[in-house]
Amino acid sequence: MFKAKNCWILMLVAVMLIFGAFGCGEDAAPIDENGEPPAEFEGEVLIGIMVPTTGSEAADGIDMENAAKLAVEQINAAGGVMGYKLVTTTGDDGCDPSMATAAASQLVSEEVVALVGGYCSGATLPTLAIYGEAGIPFVIAASNATSLIDENPGWAFMINSTGLDQAATAVEHFQALGAETIGVIDSGDAYSADLKVQTILQWEAAGYEIVAEDTVQRGEVDFSAFVTTIMATQPDGIYWTGYQAEGALLIRQLREGGYEGIIVVGDGSSAQELIDLAGPAAEGVYCTGPPLTDFLPAAQNFIERYEATFPREPGAYAALMYDATMLLADAMERAGTFDSAEIRDALDATDGFEGLAGPIYFTEDNTLARSNFVILVARDGRWALAE
Amino acid sequence: MALHEILLQQLFNGLLIGSFYGLVAIGYSMVYGIIKLLNFAHGDIYMIGAFSGMIILTLFAPVLGSGWLAIVVGLLISMLLVGLLGVFIQRVAYRPMLKAPRLSILITALAVSMILYNTVMILSQGRYRTFPADVGTESFYIGALRLTETRVVLILAAFTLMFIMHMFITRTMYGKAMRAISLDRDTCQLMGIDVYKLIAITFFIGSSLAAAAGIMAGVYYGTIHFYMGFLIGLKAFTAAVIGGIGIIPGAMLGGLLLGLLEAFGTQIPFVGTVWKDVFSFAFLILFLIFKPNGLLGRSESERM
Repeated sequence: MFKAKNCWILMLVAVMLIFGAFGCGEDAAPIDENGEPPAEFEGEVLIGIMVPTTGSEAADGIDMENAAKLAVEQINAAGGVMGYKLVTTTGDDGCDPSMATAAASQLVSEEVVALVGGYCSGATLPTLAIYGEAGIPFVIAASNATSLIDENPGWAFMINSTGLDQAATAVEHFQALGAETIGVIDSGDAYSADLKVQTILQWEAAGYEIVAEDTVQRGEVDFSAFVTTIMATQPDGIYWTGYQAEGALLIRQLREGGYEGIIVVGDGSSAQELIDLAGPAAEGVYCTGPPLTDFLPAAQNFIERYEATFPREPGAYAALMYDATMLLADAMERAGTFDSAEIRDALDATDGFEGLAGPIYFTEDNTLARSNFVILVARDGRWALAE
Repeated sequence: MALHEILLQQLFNGLLIGSFYGLVAIGYSMVYGIIKLLNFAHGDIYMIGAFSGMIILTLFAPVLGSGWLAIVVGLLISMLLVGLLGVFIQRVAYRPMLKAPRLSILITALAVSMILYNTVMILSQGRYRTFPADVGTESFYIGALRLTETRVVLILAAFTLMFIMHMFITRTMYGKAMRAISLDRDTCQLMGIDVYKLIAITFFIGSSLAAAAGIMAGVYYGTIHFYMGFLIGLKAFTAAVIGGIGIIPGAMLGGLLLGLLEAFGTQIPFVGTVWKDVFSFAFLILFLIFKPNGLLGRSESERM
């Protein structure tokens, strides 16, 4: 009886192996999306995209994936890179460090030549070592915690300004609005905790006072206890450094709880979704945001093409992701080869690449040499550039 | 704000959160009382309730708008539908396992939980959704206590549901039969009580209360998502244990107590919002060590 059972298991394993082999076969030779044979190309080059396509940050992640695909489409339409066709594969980091590690290992095993992406800093952080070890250049479009700088083994390039720049922008804005006391609240992940600490350091260095400081869990829905604390200390302004899902709830509950001071949110909450979820309570909320495509003159053509291709408007990081992909292709052309080390050196040597969000120069830390943060304000249910 | 005013506000905050916990905990406790199953899918039933409420409110919005009338209609229809879903799950997933070892049915419950939230994750594309309710957020004061219409209505609704539940369990024949089954299922069967029918009723009531809590949370917080049931499931379990699992008034009491513990816990210096969950689960451990039968529990054989 036991033998019969084993036999069944063996057969099952065999069937699974066969299907597995078919699956692999498909992966090795991706079919062109339009079904056209890519005859005019000399070959294909696989680019990895690492963004959260599921979970709470999926909206921005999918938006970034779209932007990268749009850039790739444009590059291929113009003949590809050195006659090679760019092909993408997406790893879902789920905005979660453990999922990101698994996605990174998967991308490495698929032998991608280079990577673009990176949304949640907390998820991007543990992948830097994996890509560094494998020697794969990574252009990070959105993640910008300062901890990424310390953990970068030299293969990652950040084209979004870092937390230091953003904290400076926030502090300047609070000062400009006449705030003297502020409360800062983060959501406990690497990115928002880092921005909170940088803001507190810079705010206190400017000679002002922090009257409330707190951390909430990702996924928290009830802030009533925090709101009560805020009402007791009455800070002139509140800075939320986390993401939009919790941010929207926080804004609603602060306004419902009677808080009438200044609310500023960090770039993690800069998606339109924040205003949609928070409803009327979002009106007048400020954001130290990334350069949104709406406000970039150079991006108008990009917006049109994006909306023609996908059934949505480009989100907060679409332009940066597009820049990241175009920069990578540019670096490959300049390197004249698909050798990883050569591409990295070419990225390092980038000198004023004209992105939608502005020219790109890198510092010695592989970060953007010029801050690109702007102050946005929620007006009539939309983000608008604040004066 | 003086300290006593803060504490008063936190008292109200705690009662509101606690009444959500309580409503979910009742279902946990009832099911445990009657078939000794820790129904880990119960938190997901709460989530399904919120989503079905969202769908029904959206469907009826052209006719009923999105005020309290629409919410009440949506609440009742969702309670009915989700209650039936609870009965269905019970019928296909739990009933065949009733005679199996306890561990098997526990694992089945975990599987049901995963099926439910993964289904909703796929259907909702993993996104946060706005709950389509438009109710008063204007606040008013009673003394130093700041209230909104929504908060007052929700807390009254939660207490009303709990009261109806309590009456049902203590004053009706069905309630009496349920309590009897929790004492000794086999004897009840011999006495001619339709045990399976009562188990189904238990699931119906537990699931519809969880659905009600889910919709109320949707109205209160304004956003819902597929994973919202996970943490509240654990909290409701904690509340049920604190109150004495299997005992209905205990579940309500445990829920309220847990809500208050969380609200006041965040006022303790160095605890803060981030330690809220640590604080409440630490209480679970303390209760399990020092009062394993919970506040209202007496001995192992007398339950519900």
